[in-house]
Amino acid sequence: MNNRVPKSLPAEIRPSLFSGHDWIALAIVCLTFVIPFTSTNPQVLSQTNLILIAATAALGVYIMQRLDLMSFAVPSFMAIGGYTVALLSMKLQLTDVFVLAAAAFLMPALCAIPLGALILRLKGVYFVLVTFVLTEIVQLLLFEAGPITGGSNGLVGMPAVKIFGMELWDNPHVLLTTCGLAFVSFIVTSVFTRWFRSEFAAIETNDVLAESLGLAAWKYKAMAFSVAAGVSGLAGFALVNMLLTAHPSSFAPMSSVNYITYTIVGGKASILGTLIGALLLVSATDYFALSGEMSPGLFGLLIIVVTMVARGGVVGVVSGLLYRLAGQSPPLKNGEQDLGVNGEKGQ
Amino acid sequence: MTTHSLSAGALHADRIAKSFGGLKVFHDVSFTVPAGGLLGVIGPNGAGKTTMINIFSGRLGLTSGQVMLGGTRIDGRSTFEIAMMGLVRSFQHTAIFNGHSVETNLLSALRFSRRDRSVLERLSPLLDQFGLIDNWQRNAEVMPYGLQKMLGLTMALATQPNMLLLDEPAAGLEKSERANIDTYVKFAREEFGCGILLVEHDMEIIKRLCPSVIVLDGGRLIAEGPPTDVLSQPHVINAYLGGSDEEDSDVTH
Amino acid sequence: MESFIATGLIGISLGTQYTLLALGFTLIFGILGVVNFAHGGFYVMGGYVAYYCNVILGLPYPVAVLMAMLSMAALGWLFEAFILERVIEDHQATLMVTMGFYLVMATAILMIFGAESPQFPFPVTGVWRLGGIYFPYANMIVLGACLAAIVFVYWLVYRTNIGRGMRAMSEDLPVASALGMRTKALFPFAFALATGLAGGTGALVTPILALAPHVGDSVLAFSFLTVILGGLGSVTGATCAAFIVGLIEAYAAVYLGGSKGALTLFALVLIILVVRPQGLLGREVRRS
Repeated sequence: MNNRVPKSLPAEIRPSLFSGHDWIALAIVCLTFVIPFTSTNPQVLSQTNLILIAATAALGVYIMQRLDLMSFAVPSFMAIGGYTVALLSMKLQLTDVFVLAAAAFLMPALCAIPLGALILRLKGVYFVLVTFVLTEIVQLLLFEAGPITGGSNGLVGMPAVKIFGMELWDNPHVLLTTCGLAFVSFIVTSVFTRWFRSEFAAIETNDVLAESLGLAAWKYKAMAFSVAAGVSGLAGFALVNMLLTAHPSSFAPMSSVNYITYTIVGGKASILGTLIGALLLVSATDYFALSGEMSPGLFGLLIIVVTMVARGGVVGVVSGLLYRLAGQSPPLKNGEQDLGVNGEKGQ
Repeated sequence: MTTHSLSAGALHADRIAKSFGGLKVFHDVSFTVPAGGLLGVIGPNGAGKTTMINIFSGRLGLTSGQVMLGGTRIDGRSTFEIAMMGLVRSFQHTAIFNGHSVETNLLSALRFSRRDRSVLERLSPLLDQFGLIDNWQRNAEVMPYGLQKMLGLTMALATQPNMLLLDEPAAGLEKSERANIDTYVKFAREEFGCGILLVEHDMEIIKRLCPSVIVLDGGRLIAEGPPTDVLSQPHVINAYLGGSDEEDSDVTH
Repeated sequence: MESFIATGLIGISLGTQYTLLALGFTLIFGILGVVNFAHGGFYVMGGYVAYYCNVILGLPYPVAVLMAMLSMAALGWLFEAFILERVIEDHQATLMVTMGFYLVMATAILMIFGAESPQFPFPVTGVWRLGGIYFPYANMIVLGACLAAIVFVYWLVYRTNIGRGMRAMSEDLPVASALGMRTKALFPFAFALATGLAGGTGALVTPILALAPHVGDSVLAFSFLTVILGGLGSVTGATCAAFIVGLIEAYAAVYLGGSKGALTLFALVLIILVVRPQGLLGREVRRS
């Protein structure tokens, strides 16, 4: 110790806002804008639509996962967003896509604030139970509040949405709307989660420590819950717009399991995982013609397998393999490289 | 109670009591850590030392009494508020952000307490001596226990507190590493002007560092004064002998 | 008045059913710290096993119920020992595997038995009447069997060494392990006990309520309701809450109609969460 030269601090390396995975995910979502202009195949159009809606909805799960919270509340906020759009367009003849998108985001996001104050005190399993119960409540309310929601008939006969006064009514146009909503959702989610990544990572790994260092954890939890709700609302808009109907069955409580599956199987560590999970699982459901009957079983099996043997999900496994091929060690959680400095204490 | 105890930055416990259900774990304890001062807290296991730190740092509420930091009452406030007011704690077991590098851990501490990087420059002699600069980009989770512990302590100091609550900083450290605690405490007081409440089992450290200690037993304050005086009082020795005797062999050293 | 009493009887018998489900659920949470999303699956599968034994194989109904209990206990044991045990430290992983297992179970039932509800009548018919009060014998038998099972669980939890060990573990796992309790050995046992109870409840109840591949969803939701209301991990709380849920459901169905009963319950749970997040009889919310 005595004649060591004192070391000074290493220079600061400012990590960029977006990681490689963020860019890839945004690029893929961006590329889907091509499909409505090049394809008229109804099969391709509807598959793309379904995948994008699934991925957008699963972003709600992804955002709450930043805080190590498992949210079953996605269908609730989708329902709030979807029914808001249906009511605005049917009762108030508001059909401008920008106005509707803003409403579909803000309405659930605002609802999430008082709800969050109520349930964000809960951690781990308590949060899971309560969000599960919440989706049940919203489902029942949709049926019971007949005068507003149309009860078990739902709200049928929505007018087509308009962009700059132009109607978006046929299949490619509906997909275009979905692409736009998905793109906005992915941008919002990646900017939000990356901007506050230190805060989220700290709350996820050790919230007691984070608070003892002066972090107001509840603020970030409330923001995350609210943004997750808003993004789910956009997914609800896209879904209602595709079906031209707002119906309780579109927001069934058990559908939350699907959104969780997309995020977990795809890889919960990055936004790319959510997109890839939705892409693979929605395609698989379609490819094996498993609709309804077998797909829950397949999803269940995949969840178990991923949880038991491949925590990183598809994206985690693939990027792990790529790093190994390149002869590097995978990055630490926040994107820094583990340089493998040998730091055993030499005293 | 006296006027100087309410001077800026002093930590003052005024007849604090805490019970869980019907079980009273803390009885009307009062003491003061002056601004920039150092007070040791000793006592057998289960004496209520960690409970006390949890109360001061806002994790637990009080049943009666009050805690003042400077002129402000802090009991009942939330942890992060208290931390922002300058009262920061360390944890008995390692408390770091697992899976993140040493650098990220320290930068998080700065970010959450709204300090800038210049604090790190001031801390760099300490970081260097503890061997944290050598491990700057390393995943903190896989470092040896001693390093993790010093990282946690340094993070608490990086928030530039004016009062530090140290919960058994030497616990789990090897004898050779314990000198780091002395360095840390001295550095915090001299460079940052920090007041320190030091809960510790290692009586050597207490004797070396603390001009004055309080002894807790069964949630009561049973003695206070300079460590050598206090440790020779018969009822203090009895409290240790009567208490659980696994970890307290230090007292006989 | 008479319909009021008759409704109360229905409420109480619903309460006993929910108690059995909630007891298993809350035992698993208290002891393993796991929220068992597959609980409804064990209930439904228990129903189908009993149906298969009783209707297809022609075994006597009591034997069918026993088979349902034993097979679900065995399945629960295997699931705990080979899957859940490996991820038991990570609460999110336990949630994922139980959820995944539920989906697999529901799909398996669907593939084996089809989506249609099978004909699975209760072997005893007839109605007991006193004045204007009607109460089917079937409900009475189920009520009796459920009460017996509840007494058995209480006896096991409060009067045996195994139960004391399990309670000690739900109070404080590290302390219980430090005291030398063989915690790991008790995990599969506790899980099997709970899933056996769920299977038995399914076998008893599905003939009078409904048997279909997806009735597990609502069973799960009601188990959640009950344990949130009673306080997670609290045995007595779960029992009280189950009867509250049963009675509210029965009365709301008669006097309010539709799904208002369920809404009332959910609203009640929300209020409970605001004023008393630890539930009616639960301890302070654990810091996980």
